[in-house]
Formats: sequence, C-alpha cells, structure tokens
Amino acid sequence: MSEFTMEIDGVSLPLDEDGFLQEPDLWNEKVAQAFAAPEGIEGELTEEHWNVINYLREYYLKNQIAPMIRRLCKETGCNIKKIYELFPSGPAKGACKLAGLPKPTGCV
Amino acid sequence: MTEILERATPPATKAPKRKYPYYVINPCETDRVERFLEAFAAILTYSNYRPVLDQYSSASAKCSRCTATCPVFEVTGDPRDIPCYRTNLLLKTYKRHFTIRGWFQAKLTGEPGLTDADIDEMAELFYRCTACRRCRTECPLGIDHALMTHLGRWILSELRIVPKGLEISVIEQLHGKSGNTSAILPHTLVDTLEFLEEEIEEMLGLKMKFPVDQMDREYVFFPAVSDFLMEPETLMGNLATIYAAGGNDDWTIGTGYFDGINYGLFYSDHVLERVIQKVVAETTRLRGRKILIGECGHASRSAHDFVPVFGGDKNYPVVNIMEYTHQMLEAGRLDLDPTVVTERVTYHDPCNIARSGWIVDQPREILRAFCPNFVEMQPHGTANYCCGGGGGTVSVDEIHDFRMEIAGKKKADQIRATGAKYVVTPCANCKKQLRELVEHYKLDAEIVGLHDLILKAIRIPGMKRMQEGGQEGAA
Repeated sequence: MSEFTMEIDGVSLPLDEDGFLQEPDLWNEKVAQAFAAPEGIEGELTEEHWNVINYLREYYLKNQIAPMIRRLCKETGCNIKKIYELFPSGPAKGACKLAGLPKPTGCV
Repeated sequence: MTEILERATPPATKAPKRKYPYYVINPCETDRVERFLEAFAAILTYSNYRPVLDQYSSASAKCSRCTATCPVFEVTGDPRDIPCYRTNLLLKTYKRHFTIRGWFQAKLTGEPGLTDADIDEMAELFYRCTACRRCRTECPLGIDHALMTHLGRWILSELRIVPKGLEISVIEQLHGKSGNTSAILPHTLVDTLEFLEEEIEEMLGLKMKFPVDQMDREYVFFPAVSDFLMEPETLMGNLATIYAAGGNDDWTIGTGYFDGINYGLFYSDHVLERVIQKVVAETTRLRGRKILIGECGHASRSAHDFVPVFGGDKNYPVVNIMEYTHQMLEAGRLDLDPTVVTERVTYHDPCNIARSGWIVDQPREILRAFCPNFVEMQPHGTANYCCGGGGGTVSVDEIHDFRMEIAGKKKADQIRATGAKYVVTPCANCKKQLRELVEHYKLDAEIVGLHDLILKAIRIPGMKRMQEGGQEGAA
C-alpha cells in the first residue's frame, strides 16, 4: 500500500511521491477536480480544461502513455501557451496528472 | 569467489527507516554493511575492477588538481564535493576489506572499517557527481573519478539504493510490456511515426516515410526513446536529412526494440550489458549492418564503447546520427539554406560524446555550414562544462534544486554570456536539463536539437515549404 493516498467518496486512492495517481483505472471526474486546486487551478474545471483532460484520457486508454505535446496541441486546438494558462504546472505535471495518468518514466 | 578478509565490526543492527536524498523503492534497510561488502566481493569476482582499484589506490595522491575542474565543487566549495574525496570513500573500503595490506594495517591501527554512515555518505555523494569526467582531463595520475562514481553506484544499487526515477525506467525496459524506458508500445510508435510524417508533409509538402521493420538495411536506428514524446522536430529533422541525402532505403526503425537509452551506464554494468544485448538482438533480427544512434550523448557512448564488450560475436559498428549527417554534408548530398537561421546560435557539447574527442568538430562544421551567427561557449569541446544533469541525475526530479543551483550554474552562466537565441544540444538528457535551466534562470534562449535547426533550413528538390501560419513559401 502506498504511503500517500487521497480520499474520494470514501475510496482511498494510492498516489506516488509526486501526487500522481498510481492506478489510472481508479480515475473519475471527481479525481480530476480534486487534483485541480493543488495544481493551481481555481474553482470548477471549465469546458476548456475538460477538452484537454478528455483527449489525454482517451489517448491514454488506447496507448497507455501520454501523447507528444505537439500532438496534444494540434488535436485539442490549444497552443502550448494556452495549455499553461489552463494548467499552470504544465502539460505533464498538470494536465496529465488531472487526467489520471501515471508519472512518465525515462528521459522525459 | 573473492573473500572478504575481515567482516565489518560492529555487526550492523536493525536500523530505523532511512532517508535518502532521492526516492528509492524498497532499499535494503538491515545489515547494509554486510550486504555492501558481499556485493563488492561479487563484483570483484566477476569483473575486471580489481586491477583498476589496485592502480587507483596506489596512485591516488589526493593532490586535488581535480578541484579546478569540477563544476559542482566550483560552486559549493565543499570539500566533500572534491572528486578525490568521493573516490576515496570507495578506495578506502576496497583497501580495508579486500587487500592484505589494508587488512594488516587495520590490525595495527584498529581502524573499524566500513560503517553505515559511510554508506549514507556514498549514497549522497555518488549522486552529487554528474559523471561528466571533466576532472579526468586534469588528473595527473589518470584517475577516472566517474568510473568510481559508476562502481560505487553499482554496489549501492545491489542494495537497491538507487533513485526511483532510474530504477522504474529500467524495470520497464527490461521486464515491462513495452520493453523501453518511456513505456511506448509498438503500435503507439507506429502511430507516432505516422503523425510525424503528416506533420512533415504539412511543413515541406513532401511525402516521406519512416522505414519500419525493413530487413537488410545498412542502419538500424535507436534514438533516445523519449524523443518520440518530447522531440518531434529532432525526429523530423533526422528523417528529412536522411531522405534528402538519398539514404531512405538505407535505414530502419525496428518495432521489436527502439530505445537507445541505457541507464546501466549510470549505475550498473549488469543493466548496461542487458540493454546492449537488446540493441544487438534487434539489429540482428533485422539483419542490419550498423547501429545508428540518435541525438543522445549517453546512448551513443554506451553503444559505442560497450557493443564491442557485451555484444558477443556481433560487433556492429556504432554511428551517431551527427556523424552520418556530417558525412552526407561533406559528400555534397545536403543543401542547407544559410539565410534561414540568422539568429545567434551556440552549441553545448554532451559530455559523453565530447570528452573523449569523438564528436566535437562534426556538429560545428554542420552548424557553420548554415548558421552565419555561430558562437562558442568558453570553454567548449573536450573541456566543456556539463549541463548539470549528467550521469542520470536529470531523471531524478527530487534533486532539481541541486541541478539548478549547483551542478548547472556554470552552464547557465555560459549560455547567458553567449547571448545566443538557439542553444543546440544533441542529447535528450542535456535538452531536458538546459530547458529547466532556461526556465530557472529566466534565460532568453531556446534549447533545440541539431536536426531541429537542419529541418528549418534544409532544401530538398520538389519541396514547398509552408511558412508559419500556413502560407506557402519559396522552395
């Protein structure tokens, strides 16, 4: 059992040291909302946030990994500046975390 | 089997859970001293480190000439960051526990031998070295302190004292479903390559294909696998260069294995060997003749230096993509427009390919061919400063502050002094670290790969380059 957890609706979700969800299958929309404030996003997630989160989620379920940032930008119509506006801690540490992706490995 | 001449005293007792400067997965918590010595003994038995350690322990004069070259010591001034001091942690353990002379001396002096505190110090200090080998160039006795860092980390890793960022990547590479450090599945690779082909068509108006699983090609390509996530321009530049040089039937990417990254170089000969074997096996499967490594320093050095050691009878030549590009430029098979990249450009040498003098001039000759405003950092080439994230430290997020404020400080100063718009560095490690430095120090520079710039300037017959905003430009 992980040392770090988060409670959502009475379910205890294991996190890694950097706060990434360890079991992406346990993700739901409430998880994304719960991750928002610690990543510097105030209030409710907007449609623009969900556009990015849903794309990441869909890509992840197909590929078990995050897409290239270039691809994320192209397919969501958000340029990199916009991504940082929406997710102040960036595409990997912010957007991917909210979408329930595990922390990327290797030289990334 | 090498015998431990005398076991450490006092015997280690059950210790409370320890803190390391980085995340670790299930490290050895009890009997660490005993297990450290067991691991050391096993490595001495099954490797050639003993003559090296004998030589180094008799030669190390602790003259501290290395202080003038170590970028970490230059910033901290802490005696514990002197390469000789760090190396001596390992050498004194070797002498005390594995040589007759050391054992006998200890009998006379009562020196107790390795302690838990020594192991903690090694766990800290061996990861305050970026293994850049700059100190080696000045050591009058030829000691390679980075090799001692490597050996020290290897022994520690046998106790599972190794940063989590390195270990989980290696576990995925050797035992995971994807078989590579970034966990990219073969179908995702193919999908990504198709995406890049569409991008390049939109950019240059030419249909080019990444050759996948083609047999009997001259080169089998292994980039740092993270390029498939982080460096689209580098990969598109690689393709455009090979295509323009007429070499697109000479290379292939294999879906069986496509990762040049080898963290074994940073912390374990055992891992190093197994990863090299994967590269060699894929080249053999595709009946390739040479191994082509992408823009990555440690991937290049690990393959270049260790395919001959661990590759069995398959001693494939190893070529770095910049060597290939340089060769094509010299042969007049590349046309680079000198009017496109007019901003100031500088080049950061990745230590793993530059320190030995292997790849120093080739990228500069390529850049000078089309970047009229090319300037050098001082010093550069074989005497360059490390980016500050070498030796695998860049993959350890939790030592970010060390990489920014200490190990990378000299490099940030150098970049600022050049006033360059583009800092070219052909290495996945260096790119990540330098981008973090640019952000940390608010530098007005963009970090790019060499082939990223080539992609901007290359001229290929029949192409129609689209300018930013979708306007068609002149070919």
